[in-house]
Order: sequence, then C-alpha cells, then structure tokens
Amino acid sequence: MSAPIISVRNLTKRFGDFTAVDQLAIDVVPSSIFAFLGANGSGKSTTIRMLIGLLRPTEGSIEVDGIDVIRHPRRVRDHIGYMGQKVSLYQGLSLRENVEFYAGLHGLAGRELEARWGALRERFRLSDAEAERPENLPAGIRQRAGLALATLHRPRVLFLDEPTAGVDVHSRSLFWELIREEADAGRTVFVTTHFLEEVDYCDWASFIDEGKLIANAAPEDLRRRYSEGYRVHIDGEPAQELTTPALDDAFFADELDPLLALRPGARVQIDTPSMTDVFRRVIAESAGTRHAQP
Amino acid sequence: MSVEPSLRLRGLRKSFGKRRALDGIDLTLEGPQIVGIVGPDGAGKTTLLRAIAGLLEITADEATVLGFDLRGDVRALKAQIGYVPQSFSLHRDLSVSENLRFTARLHRLSNAEFERRAELLLARTGLSPFLDRPAGALSGGMKQKLSIANALLPKPALLVLDEPTAGVDVMARDEIWRILEERRSEALVLISTSYLEETEACDRLIYLDEGCVVAQGTPAELRAQVPVKLLRAWGNDPRAIARAAGSLPYVVSARVRGPFARIEIAADAPGEARLRADFAGFAPRVWLVEPTPVDMESALLFLSRKQSPRTGAP
Repeated sequence: MSAPIISVRNLTKRFGDFTAVDQLAIDVVPSSIFAFLGANGSGKSTTIRMLIGLLRPTEGSIEVDGIDVIRHPRRVRDHIGYMGQKVSLYQGLSLRENVEFYAGLHGLAGRELEARWGALRERFRLSDAEAERPENLPAGIRQRAGLALATLHRPRVLFLDEPTAGVDVHSRSLFWELIREEADAGRTVFVTTHFLEEVDYCDWASFIDEGKLIANAAPEDLRRRYSEGYRVHIDGEPAQELTTPALDDAFFADELDPLLALRPGARVQIDTPSMTDVFRRVIAESAGTRHAQP
Repeated sequence: MSVEPSLRLRGLRKSFGKRRALDGIDLTLEGPQIVGIVGPDGAGKTTLLRAIAGLLEITADEATVLGFDLRGDVRALKAQIGYVPQSFSLHRDLSVSENLRFTARLHRLSNAEFERRAELLLARTGLSPFLDRPAGALSGGMKQKLSIANALLPKPALLVLDEPTAGVDVMARDEIWRILEERRSEALVLISTSYLEETEACDRLIYLDEGCVVAQGTPAELRAQVPVKLLRAWGNDPRAIARAAGSLPYVVSARVRGPFARIEIAADAPGEARLRADFAGFAPRVWLVEPTPVDMESALLFLSRKQSPRTGAP
C-alpha cells in the first residue's frame, strides 16, 4: 500500500471546555475517495477546517501531500481544492468571471487557462452556464461549477464538504461520475455527505461521533461489521434463504452456484443492507458504548 | 376548528422578471396526506411551495388553498399554514423556548395550550435539553427540527416544508419523519426533498419540470411508468462489469453501486437468457444477474431524461 496522502494523528480541537475533535487518527490512500461521515455537530466541519489549514488544532499532527499543515498552513493551499456546503462562487460575477478570478489566485492565465478551463467546461457540461451568474443557476449546475473551480489548479487533494446537499438525483449521479474520474486521474477526494447511499461510491468511510472516530473501514467491511449481512433468497419448491456477511467469490462459488446447479434458471433475490441502516447501527453502538462507560 | 385540507390550482403562473418560474400549474389535492414535490433543480419546487403558502403574488385561473383564494387576501390562510423555508428563518438570538413562545403569541395560543403543545413537540424532536440555547447556536439538524416544531405549534391544516432535511443527518431525519408520519392523517403535508427514501415514504408525488406538473401519482404509480427493467450484476469487479454492460445495445445505463453494477435495460430488451449469455462472455466474471424491481432512482432519472431541462444538463 502506498504511503497515505493525508495523515492525521491525535488531532484534537477544544473550544473552551468543549472538545469538538478528540484524538482523531486517519490515513487516506492517494487517488482514493474517502467518505468522512457523522451527525450534524459531530466535528466533521471542524476537522476539515483544520485539514485545510484554516483552523489551528489544540493538539496533534496533520500531514497533507507531504506538508505539515500546522506549521505551514499557507503552503498547503496550492496542493488542495476545497468546496464547501455553500459553494464559494461570487454572486454578481458570471461563471466565466469567477473562473478568471480563481485562476488568477493560482497564477493560471492565457493559453494555459484556456486549455484547462476549456477541457473542464466540456467535461463538467458547463458551456451553457458560462455567461450566467451563479445565483441564477440551478443547484446541480452550481455544484458542478464549484467542483470545476476547486479542481482548476490541479490540486492533489480535493476536500468536498456536503457537495450534493439539496441537489437532484440526476445531478448527483453526474457529480459522482466526475468525482470518480478525478480519483482515477490520481486526485484524492475527501468528501462528506448525508446521502448515505453515496458511501457506496467511495473506497473508504470513516465515521465520527462527538469528535471521536467510531468506525473506519471500506464500505463492504462496514456492512460485514454493522449489519445482519446479505439475505439471498432462491425461488423454488421449497424456497431457500441464505445469509452471508459478504458476496464474494467464495460465497458464489462454494454456496450459491451448487444450489443453482440443482435449480437451473431459479430466480435469486438479494437483500442488500443499506448504508443508511449501517450508519444508524454505527451511531447506536457508539452511543451504547458511551452510556456503558461511567 | 378543523378544515378539510384541500388545494385546487389551475393555470397557476409566476414570473420573476423575464424568467417564468411556474408556467401553468394544474394540481388538485384532497384530504390529509404527505405529498412529495420532486423534480430537477430549478424546476419551480420552491416557487410552488411559496405560492401555496400565500407568500407570492400569482396569476391563475383558479387558486384555492384551504378554501381561500390565493389571489385575494391571504392573511387568514397564513394563520392555518405551517411553513418551513429552505434556509433557517427563526430568530437566531432567541432561545429555543423563546422562539416557540413567540410563535404561540402570534397565533394567540392560550398558555395552557402552548405548554401542552410545546412539551409534546420538544419531546418528539429531542430538543427538550436545549430549551435555553440560542437558536443560532444549534446544529443544522436541530435547527431544522426547531423550525418544524415551530411550524407545527398551532396545529396547521396545511404544512409546507421546503427541503427540510437537506444537509440533515440520518438520525434527525428519522425524527423529522416520525413527526410527519403523525400528521399524515390530520394535515396536508407538502414536502420537497432530494432523498430517494423520503420520496418513497410519501403518499403521493408531484413531479415538476420547467414550472409544470409533468407527472404525478403514488410512488408505485411513478415507478410503474418507467419503460426500463432494472438488473443488478454481481461479481468481484463491478466497475469492469458496468463498463462492459454499457457497450451492449439494449443497455440504457450501467453504473457501479458498491458491490454490484446497477444496469437499466430497455423494456423490450432480449430476454434474460440472452442477457445471461452476453454477460457470460464478459472478461470480468459475472456471478449473478439479478432482476430487481424498478426503484425511485430509475423513476426520477427516467422523468428527468424525458423532459429537457433548460440549461447544462445533457
């Protein structure tokens, strides 16, 4: 496994008596999509603000793309792109003017800018929106524009804080295709969401609750650990039902295929544990542990 | 006083400058139920909800809400509507209990009635421990729960909620929906949402596009209109499976969804046997092709493909 591109240790942030983030440790693999999940007020946004150098932690260490973010909060900015819950496009400026403004911040201009923006505009389907002001664009297009601007300077890591909140299903699906393309092209994506089905688009998911890491695994491992597993129903006389923690080669080869060989063409239905239920269980178990402690 | 909640709109229009936000809405709703307002971004959902709440000047051939004409004096109507706008609009400096008390005064609730209602709603929303916290200092989920408790305080016959769960965590969403379920048999609840599981929980869905109602019905009725079949293909490389499936002529869409590829095929596509044969030829091994009922995602994507949104979309 390659060295993590984001590495966080003992990260703690206290505001007076209140501990918003508590001894957090996370590693993010380069070129992966990393989902950072938690309830409202669990410490997600505080953590992101520390990771991008906007907020100084009380304790701990943060390394992003080889940079010590606590010692050099400014130096990290060329390495990252950020898109917040409220997309940071300037109202009153057209999308094109916003592009020029952001490009200027990163010293991108002239032919280089035209080539880069031209490609993004095409791929993100923003051509018709270029002359519009962001406040007049539908949410889904505004989010795509925000993502395009966050990637304009080819950052190594993208931080996306609830990029799909309030966005329709069609735009969400397009948005995630773009995020996957970015990851395939080598960019690392650190993303938060409340649409838990989106966790299945990610390579890894970490949950925090009251500032503490409470689960940290690939989506399939979370299913294995926090659900009753897959229920596989096979039609026939009599019908049969199997339960399996994972639908892997071993299950299909050793368990399902032999049964289907006896019932050619039998209908199979698979009941998949939803990520929303997985999330509910992660939080419930975490609350249970907390209450069990004196 | 209880009003049989109902709503009748014909040819309802609203423009902002040159932009036509609502372009002849025809909509009739009778009786208590939860109605989901869905459709692409920019379709006019917020404008429709605001018009129904009596907040906009509109033109229409007919526009009756709870027996009041939206084109006339709507002050009496507003007293019977609970409205939760998209952005938090309670008093940030007032505490949770002060906000509720303020609303109770506006609606002239008696003290006894206020105490009884507030206690119930605070317990339901889990806000009881935060009575003295300024509303502005609540987390996003708690703000939304307070807005809803506030809207429900006077027992409105019509509840209008504009994306009340956007950016809200799953536990707070569960609580919000438990509250809405309790109103299901007593009030007409109109809610816009982009969560698929929430659209499934509605009694009826109204699909808007470009300011018009282009489809409506129960969730099951909307799913039944979709002329595609849905399959899940299982194997250990779902991305490769989705890519390969995408090249088959009868495949409408193929996307990875975690452990499987989610594949929509044309309703008149060759039978499953042919499909299994095609999939058997794939380099990435497909362990199982599982036909599965068309879901709300397919239904909404189909409706969005059918219409041609104004800008940007394919």
